[in-house]
Parts: sequence; C-alpha cells; structure tokens
Amino acid sequence: MSLRRRLLVLFALTVFVSVAAVTGIISAMARSAFDRANDERTNALVAQFRREFTRRGEEVSRKIQAIAATSESNRIAIAAAGSSPDYSVFLDDAQTVAETHQLDFLEFADDRGTIISSAQWPAKFGYKEPLVTPSPSADPFLKEEETPGGPALGLFGIRGVAAGDRKLYVIGGIRLDKTFLASLELPAGMRVLLYENVDRDKFLPDHLIGAADSKIDPQEFAPLIRQVQQSNAQQNPVETGAVIHENSGQSSGDDETVNAIPLTGDNNQLLGVLLVASSRQIYTELSGQIRSAALLAAAVGLVMAVLLSSWAAARVTRPVEELAHAAREIAGGNWSAQVKSTSRDEIGQLAESFNHMTRDLLDQRDRLVQAERVAAWRELARRLAHELKNPLFPLQLTVENLLRAREHGQQQFDETFQESASTLLAEISHLKNIVGRFSEFSRMPVPQFQAVGLNQLAEVVVKLHKAQLNAAGRPPIESRLELSAAGHIAADPELLHRALSNLVLNAIEAMPDGGVLTLRTRQGFTSAYIEVSDTGIGLSQEDCARLFTPYYTSKVGGTGLGLAIVQSIVSDHGGRISVSSEPGRGTTFMIELPANRDKLPATTMPVGMSEPEENS
Amino acid sequence: LAESRPHYGGTLRVAVKESPQTLDPAAQGVPVSISRMIFETLIALDERGRPQPLLATSWQSDPGSQRWRFFIRGGVSFSDGSPLDSAAVAASLRNSNPQWKVSAAADMVMIETESASPDLPAELALARNSIVRRSDAKLSGTGPFAIAQWDAGKHVALIANEPYWAGRAFVDSVQIDVGKNDREQMLSLDLDKADVVEVAPEDIHRARAENRTVKASEPEELMVLVFTHDPSSDDETHARNALALSIDTAAVNNVVLQGGGEPCGALLPNWMSGYAFVFPTAANIEHARAERMQAKHLPAWTLGYDPLDPVARVIAERVLLNARDAGITLQLISSSGSPDLRLVRIPLSSSDPHVALTALAEAFQLPQPRFENASAAALYSAEKSMLQSHRVVPLLHLRSAVALRPNVHDLNVLPDGTWSLNNAWLSGEKP
Repeated sequence: MSLRRRLLVLFALTVFVSVAAVTGIISAMARSAFDRANDERTNALVAQFRREFTRRGEEVSRKIQAIAATSESNRIAIAAAGSSPDYSVFLDDAQTVAETHQLDFLEFADDRGTIISSAQWPAKFGYKEPLVTPSPSADPFLKEEETPGGPALGLFGIRGVAAGDRKLYVIGGIRLDKTFLASLELPAGMRVLLYENVDRDKFLPDHLIGAADSKIDPQEFAPLIRQVQQSNAQQNPVETGAVIHENSGQSSGDDETVNAIPLTGDNNQLLGVLLVASSRQIYTELSGQIRSAALLAAAVGLVMAVLLSSWAAARVTRPVEELAHAAREIAGGNWSAQVKSTSRDEIGQLAESFNHMTRDLLDQRDRLVQAERVAAWRELARRLAHELKNPLFPLQLTVENLLRAREHGQQQFDETFQESASTLLAEISHLKNIVGRFSEFSRMPVPQFQAVGLNQLAEVVVKLHKAQLNAAGRPPIESRLELSAAGHIAADPELLHRALSNLVLNAIEAMPDGGVLTLRTRQGFTSAYIEVSDTGIGLSQEDCARLFTPYYTSKVGGTGLGLAIVQSIVSDHGGRISVSSEPGRGTTFMIELPANRDKLPATTMPVGMSEPEENS
Repeated sequence: LAESRPHYGGTLRVAVKESPQTLDPAAQGVPVSISRMIFETLIALDERGRPQPLLATSWQSDPGSQRWRFFIRGGVSFSDGSPLDSAAVAASLRNSNPQWKVSAAADMVMIETESASPDLPAELALARNSIVRRSDAKLSGTGPFAIAQWDAGKHVALIANEPYWAGRAFVDSVQIDVGKNDREQMLSLDLDKADVVEVAPEDIHRARAENRTVKASEPEELMVLVFTHDPSSDDETHARNALALSIDTAAVNNVVLQGGGEPCGALLPNWMSGYAFVFPTAANIEHARAERMQAKHLPAWTLGYDPLDPVARVIAERVLLNARDAGITLQLISSSGSPDLRLVRIPLSSSDPHVALTALAEAFQLPQPRFENASAAALYSAEKSMLQSHRVVPLLHLRSAVALRPNVHDLNVLPDGTWSLNNAWLSGEKP
C-alpha cells in the first residue's frame, strides 16, 4: 500500500473514531438523561395508579357499607339470628344485591362464618367463609376468591350488621379482571396488566390479563413475574421493574417501562402481580432522532475526513513521491535527475539535500571517469611500452650486431645479416601481431543476428582445434561434448565462434600436461547456456576476479585482450559470462545467452529453429 | 252457594313453558296435558299406575303376552264427527308404532308385538299412543276439547267437544299460550292474563308462601347425573361411587329447590315403586373420601348442564363443591360441549314403573331392563342393576305444579304431572 493510501486511511480512521466517540458520548448522555426523566415520569404514574387503586378500594368499602345499611341486610341478619334459619329464601339475595350495587362478589355470612347467600357461587350456601373473624379488617383488602370457573382475584371489603347479640357479615368486592383494568382512569401512555398468581411457583401465561382492548404477549412479562414470585418465596415481596420491548402493545415496537407491584393477601401471600407499564415511546423517538442525527453527522464527517485526508495526504506525499521518482531515475542511470523544492520545511530540506547529493554524485562520476580515462591511457601506454619494448630490444641488438659485423668484414656481415634479417623479420612480425590485436580489439564489429545452433557451433569449434588438442610434444587432450541445447538462438555465429575459440585455446594452454576439455550446452526457457571446462592448472581467486579486465593476463606472453574480447562479444549479445576455478583442478567458463528472438526477423527464421519448450 | 257449584261456560286461559311445533301426540315435545285435552288413549292409568279402560272397554292377551285384543268403546266419535271404530284405532296405532302388527276386526283391535309385552296396556296409556284421526293436515281426537286454532309455537285455541262421550267439559274454550318462561307465566297470572300457569319445582314453596293456589303432582321428574360412558377402570368406579356419596342432595332440595323435590337414591320415586326408601339418599363425605382414596388415579371430569336452566347451574355448582370436598375435580361446561357427565332432568314417561324404568334405560342409553315377572322384587332387581352400572347418579325427584287463579275450580293434577281440565270450571268473575 502506498504512503498516500496509508496516510489517507490513517487520517480517515482518526476522524471516524473521533466522530464515533463524540456521537457515542452524546448518545449515552442523552439516553441517561432520558432514562432519568422516564423514571421520574414512571414513578409519578405508578403513584397516580396507587391512588386510583386505593380510591377503588375505598369505593368498594363504601358500597359494602351501603349494603350493610340496607333493609335487605337487616332482614337477612334478623332471619340468620333465628334458631333454624331457612337459607333457601336468601339463595338469590346476594346476586340481586350485588347486581344492584355493581359488585362482582358478595356474600352474606353469619357470625359463625356460614355462608347464607353468595353472589359469585350461589351453591356455596352452608360453607364456611374464613374471612369472618371476631374483628375483621375495616380496610379494603385483596383476596383470592373461589368461583365455579376457578380462582379469581378481587378487591374486597367487609362490614358487620348487628342483629341482637348475633351478627351478619357482608363481604363483597370487585373482581380484578379485564373490566376492572379497563375501568381504571390512567394517564396517557400508561397501561396496567394483572397476573393472577394461581400457581405460586410457575408462570402461567393464561393468567396474565390486560384491559379489554389490550393485546399482550405473556412471555414478555414472564421474567419480571418470576422475579416477584421468587422474592415472595423468600418472604420479601418487593416492587421491581424492567424495560420491556412490547411488540403487541399499544403501538408496534413501543418500549415500555414496567413496574411489577406484588399484590399480597393474608400472611403476605402473593395473590397477584400488577404490572404498571408506561410507554417509552416519546423517549424512544427522541433517542432515535438523536441517533439518526449522530449517524448523519458521522457519515458527513467520514466523507469530509476522506476528502480532507486525501488532500492532506497528497500534500504530504507529493514531494516524497517526487523524491522517490528522482531516486528511480538515478537508479536508472539518469544522474541528472533533480527534485523541485517548493517549501522550506523538512520535506523541502530533504529535496535540497537530494539535489545536492545528485550534483555531488555527478561531479564525482565525472571525476571518476576522468581518472579512469587517465588510468586507462596510462595502462595502455604501459602495456604498449611493455609490449613494444620486448621486440624493440632484440631489434636494437640485431641492428647493433649488424653494425659490428660490418666492421669485421663482409663475410661476417653476410653471415650475421642473414641471421639478423630473420630475427628482425620475426620481431617486426611480432610487433605487427601486437598492433593487429590492439587494432582488432578496438574494432569489435556489431553482432549480425541470425539463427545459431549452439550444439553445432560447439562441434565446429572442437573440430577446428582438433590438431592443437593432439599437438606433438605434449600429452594429448581429450575433448568431450555434452550437448543438450536442442533449439536455436539469435546470435552472430562468427563472433560466437571467435569467443568459443578463445576459450578453447585458453583451455588448451591451461593443460600443458594434457587433460580433458569439455563443452556443454543446455537450453533454458529464455536463455541458452554453454560451458567450456578444462582440467588444467586452474586460477586463483584474484585471477578470477580480474580475468576479464582488458590487458590483464596470467600467461607469459599474453596480451590480456582475449577474455576481454570474449566478454565484449557476450555482452554485445546481451549475455553474461562467469568463471569458476580452483587451482590445480581446472577452470570452467559459463556463458548465458538470451534467446533474442525479437532480434530475428520472422522471415529469416530458419527451418528447424524452434521455440524452446517451456517444460524442457 | 252458586259459586261453589260447577257450571258451564267461560274461557280458561293457560300458559305453558313448552313450545311445540305440532300438536300431533306421536311427535316429541308435545305437552302431555294439552295432548290429553284433545286426544285419548285406549287405556288410562289410575293414580297407582294401574291400567283402566278408556277408549277400550276391555282387553285380552295370549299367555305369551305377544298377541293382544282390545275391544273398542262404542258410541264414541272424533271431534270432526266421524265415529271411532276399530279401523281408525288401528290406523292411529300403526302410525305411532310402526313396529307393531295392528289389525282391526269389528269392534276389536288386535296388536301383535315382536316379543312378549306384558306392559302393553300401560304402554298404550302413553300420550304418544293417543288415538288420532289424521285427515290432510287436520288432527281430530276424541277428547273433551277440539282444536279451534293452532298458531305453531305460540298459541292454541281449544273449544269444548260438545258430543264428548264422557260428558261435555264445563268450560267452553281454552286459550293456551305456549313458550312462556316461568317469569312470564307468573306475570300473566298476576296481571290476570292467565288462569292456569305452570310452577317450577323451586318456585312451589314461594308460590304457596305468596298465598297462591298451587296444585302439585307427585314427584314425576328425575334429576340425575348421567355418565356418557361406562367406567373404564376400578379407579373410575371408586371415583363415581365417591361422587355419588359426596352430593348433599338434601341441601340442594331444601335450599335450591326450596323443597320442590325429594332427594333420591333410586330412579323411580317411592310412590311409584314402593321401595325407593331402601336406596340411601344422605351424603356421606367420609365414605366418599374413603372411596376416593381407593382410586389411585383420579379422573378429572367435565360436568355439563343446561345453561338455560338457572336451577341446573346452581345444582351443578353445588355438585362441584361437594365433589371437591371428597377430593374429586370437576369442571363445569355448558351442555353444548362433550362432557364426561351431564346433569339432566328426565320426566318419568308413565306412572307404570315398568314402562317408566324402560323409558329411563332408553334415555340413559343403557340395556333394556329385564323383568322376571310383574312383582316389586323383579322391578327392584332391574332398577338396582341399572344403578350398579355406575352410569347414573340419581339426585332428586321433582314435582310439577300449576298455580291457579281463585276462580278456577276442580282442576286435577295427576300423579304423573299432567293436569286435567275435564271437570274444571270457572266461577264468579269469569261467568
């Protein structure tokens, strides 16, 4: 990933994290504030509900009081006070009175607790009512009342009617059911549900009731009710609350804060749980709006962050990229590459330093080239002097012999002349040879590419030097050909032949005691290889390092140009030459030549010149 | 003095609860009292359930009680003027009893049944075996009254059958409003819109307490718990015994029915069988619990009742309470469901115990009782066998009653609950 992209990502991430953090903090603070406000509202609503509940209880008490004061109650009280009251005449009385006073439950019982008439269960005459005690509670209370349809929770009151020394008790109440819940005057956004705790240990969904038009999902409230049941089981019924997401409530997707108020009867027995739910819709909507605004701000911030980061990253990385580009130019050989400096900051100083450095490098290179050129001339002069000095000295001696021979007479001169002439011619020939080789080195031709088979070339070279391999006066040299370069490459056959011949001659000279000369060829995917190995005297590491330097030779009488010519030829073909040698074990020259197929016109492709196979 | 003597004339106004769609006695749902005003049977049962001649003057049977001969009373005619003869009797009986082989000969009708029918005379006394002349859609009988107007399900107007063979009725006509509930009937009586109304058993005591003229029958209706299937295990048998022992029928009768019935442990009332007192009626909660303890797996039953009957609901609730005391769980459901047991009221069809018991067995979907002979012991054995099926728990025998305005005289309520207007007459305010 480029520096610009990395900087872009870094800048964008930084801005995004910052915006997200700010958004989260604002959202959390808003939620906390809303929760506090909602709690306060819920508490106020619950308090209002408690007042309503108390009011309904007092209403029940007033009704019971009113029934106790009626002539009907007095009539029953007087009849019940008799020795053998006829209950049959009162069978329907409780029902009639209950309907008149709009009560769901009403029983008349004598002071022994025997039910005389029951509205909720008329057949219960003669059974005992446990609520009848010598001093029953005057306050309204909760009670689980048995009915033919099962237990029902009610808000009850009890009053006594005196008849002589006997008493009649009027016990009545209203049922806490859908109708009761629907009749409660509740503030907007609030609803009440009732759980009848029929089974003390389990949650029974069918016993959770709401107002008549209320739809509820009982399982939403199950954990809360179980919590109340558990606290009741520990003899410590406490009010508890929770936030419930109610899907089927007053409005779809409306969260509610639900307070669970335990309804207890005698001995703190948990008779029911009143669930007072207040809608969190307002707060949920506000919270949603804040969240939406925060998300919008975050999105805008992110876009801005990307744009600004892109601009900033471009501004920061442009000089660096120019520096990198200039560095690549220099690496590519353009030592004159310069960087434009537009600022005085660290980047500007870096650009100035870079430009200064390139200028220094150019100066140093020029000086180095100059120095090398001088050194080369000196070396050439030294070589020429050395090469020319050797034949000049015999020439001088021969001419001086001729001069002395002339002084000794014609006969001696003639004898010396013949010998000296031969020597002079030989030395002059030697000088011409030296001059020719220097001339040849200076006039290396440009390769003329055509299809060349390395195998054939190697065979030709070895065949040409067959005589030298078996020269008289020294042990013969065995030649071996290990040829596996099946294809052709584009090369100049004359130059390659010359290079190979040089290497073969060097190898022959390196084996004065005989040995083995090996030529190997092999084909690569894009290159071909040819090796020339001997088992001769070998070279030192220093010789190997300097072997291709012009005019360097390890042989007596060598010009030091042979291997330089070989390297020049290989280099002109775009190839490489290397040497590996070990003193006493022989030397191996390895040439790698590119296929150079692009340098060979298609029309000139010879028959039989095939592309190297990829898997070969 | 004149007010105490019967005299002819006047219209008697009657209100009844039943709401029949036809007056044909062969159909179900026709009030027997109305039917007997228009139609007569060959045989009548007296107050002790013994067959007495009515349209048949005498009868004979072969020793196997399969072939019977009934001699038809002469000089009797239908209300449409046609004479009563053996052919008309045979045609009527064939219509009401297709399974019988009925043939007419001179003044005699011969009935041949598929099996021995020693109680055939009592069976012929049933209202559904009334002799009816059916011409087109018109029904004619030989009773003291004839149909003058019939508005199905609402009103019946009867007029006195002038040539009635046993003597013309005192009242000239009878106007009967049908389909009136208890409250409407009592209201009609109070508002002088009816002279005779039916009184439910639970209201008999109150009506008398209000100084109304009330005439009640012998207990003629059975209130009973009927299980829909036989007990499937010993546990269930014990549970059914426990249920039967737990129900305080005395309290139900005293409070709910206000003495309008009699607690019973038998299917037939004592006045009919003479041995009903042998079957215990008192609740015994200790025994009930002991029986219940013998049941390892207690069933949870559903109890059905007629939701339109307020008394039935209270009694069902009392049964639920009593059963709960014995540790048995019942759940009340309306009769529209499929309860395990039902609280039902079944009128006894006849004052003949054999016929009544046979009809009860049919109503309970029990096998027909087998009577070894006509003795009380055989009757007891058959009834006991029915009770031991554990399919029925008798609770109460209920009376039927009518309340009369003071100007109605000599209206007879028979033991089987039907009332006869044959000798009724109106005095004073309704000359």
